[in-house]
Amino acid sequence: MDKAHSVSQASRVNLPELLSRVDNDRELLLDLLTVFKEEFPRLLQTLHRAVALQDMKQISMVSHTLKGMLLNMAIPRAATAAALLERLAQEETKTSVPEAFAAFEMEVQGLLPEMQTCMGEVSR
Amino acid sequence: LRILVADDERLSRRLLERTLERAGYEVMAVENGRLAFEQLNQPDGPRLALLDWVMPELDGPGVGRAVRRQQEQREQSYVYIVLLTSKESKEDIVTGLESGADDYLTKPFDVDELKARLRTGERILHLEGRLVEAREMMRFKATHDALTSIWNRGVIVDLLGRELARSQRESGCTIVLLGDVDHLKSVNDTHGHLVGDEVLKEIARRLLLSIRSYDFVGRYGGEEFLLVLNNCNPQSAIRGGACGGASEGCEQPANADRDWSRTSQHELRRALE
Repeated sequence: MDKAHSVSQASRVNLPELLSRVDNDRELLLDLLTVFKEEFPRLLQTLHRAVALQDMKQISMVSHTLKGMLLNMAIPRAATAAALLERLAQEETKTSVPEAFAAFEMEVQGLLPEMQTCMGEVSR
Repeated sequence: LRILVADDERLSRRLLERTLERAGYEVMAVENGRLAFEQLNQPDGPRLALLDWVMPELDGPGVGRAVRRQQEQREQSYVYIVLLTSKESKEDIVTGLESGADDYLTKPFDVDELKARLRTGERILHLEGRLVEAREMMRFKATHDALTSIWNRGVIVDLLGRELARSQRESGCTIVLLGDVDHLKSVNDTHGHLVGDEVLKEIARRLLLSIRSYDFVGRYGGEEFLLVLNNCNPQSAIRGGACGGASEGCEQPANADRDWSRTSQHELRRALE
């Protein structure tokens, strides 16, 4: 089993943890999951472009935002990958950025469908 | 209490907004530091702020520095600032606090910790409110006569000096009226000092009503009042307009239910003309 597959198999969305963070406010959690679903693909695309252009300032900004979002949604592994990317961009370690970005992409692969499942559970 | 939330990340902003609304705050949410500063810089802007560190246009510490600078210059109300950050190193915390933030909280925040830290902020703001109130009261007491609440002697003489200097500079006319209440001693002896005090308070009130918003009236001595009337027309003033206005205001009898403090037309007219 390759690493990407093992990551996609792991359950990254911790619903009880998320519910406790919003004081069991399911309406708010649905709202947050919707925002995540809207914002995440857009930010990921922007990050992808910035990595291709080696735009370190943009990489730093976007990975910082992604890190915050992932932390708020209780997805710590992906948040750590975003944090590494942010740090490398700040340090202008251009050679390490593509590898860190690939690791980040792997961490977030299949995340949106998981969010969708989570939304279904929350609205039940 | 109103609170400003500034965070460029939509999800975080929404989470904070809803959490704080549930905690009873009136939340104002903005998406960058520049907008945050604009809101906090309003005279009636929020006094509690939760600022993300990394934001476009102006970051959280930048907002903190700008707010503190403005406060020093304009003597504005204190704004309690909490920085919300995913930075955790000691250096970052020191930098954040030295920028003017009062506290910091790391992301992802714990709801109970957030509320507790904001309550600390509320306590500080409440204390500041009481200190400002006390300072204003001291300021009032230092400049106003304790009995009549009009300017005290020190201030009215100072105002007179300034107005005369301005009048001279601008070749204008300032009228100075020094009025003395005759027979106050007899009022005090006959009716007691409390009634005498009421007479002085009533005269001060009427003098205040008889002058324009940009004139000044103060208690010069025990029963002496000094009026400084600015930008007057010398001709009409000499014909009695200014003195008449002030004295007529005091000539009217007091309210029927306060007849015991009736003032004497004769005495006041004599005093003010």
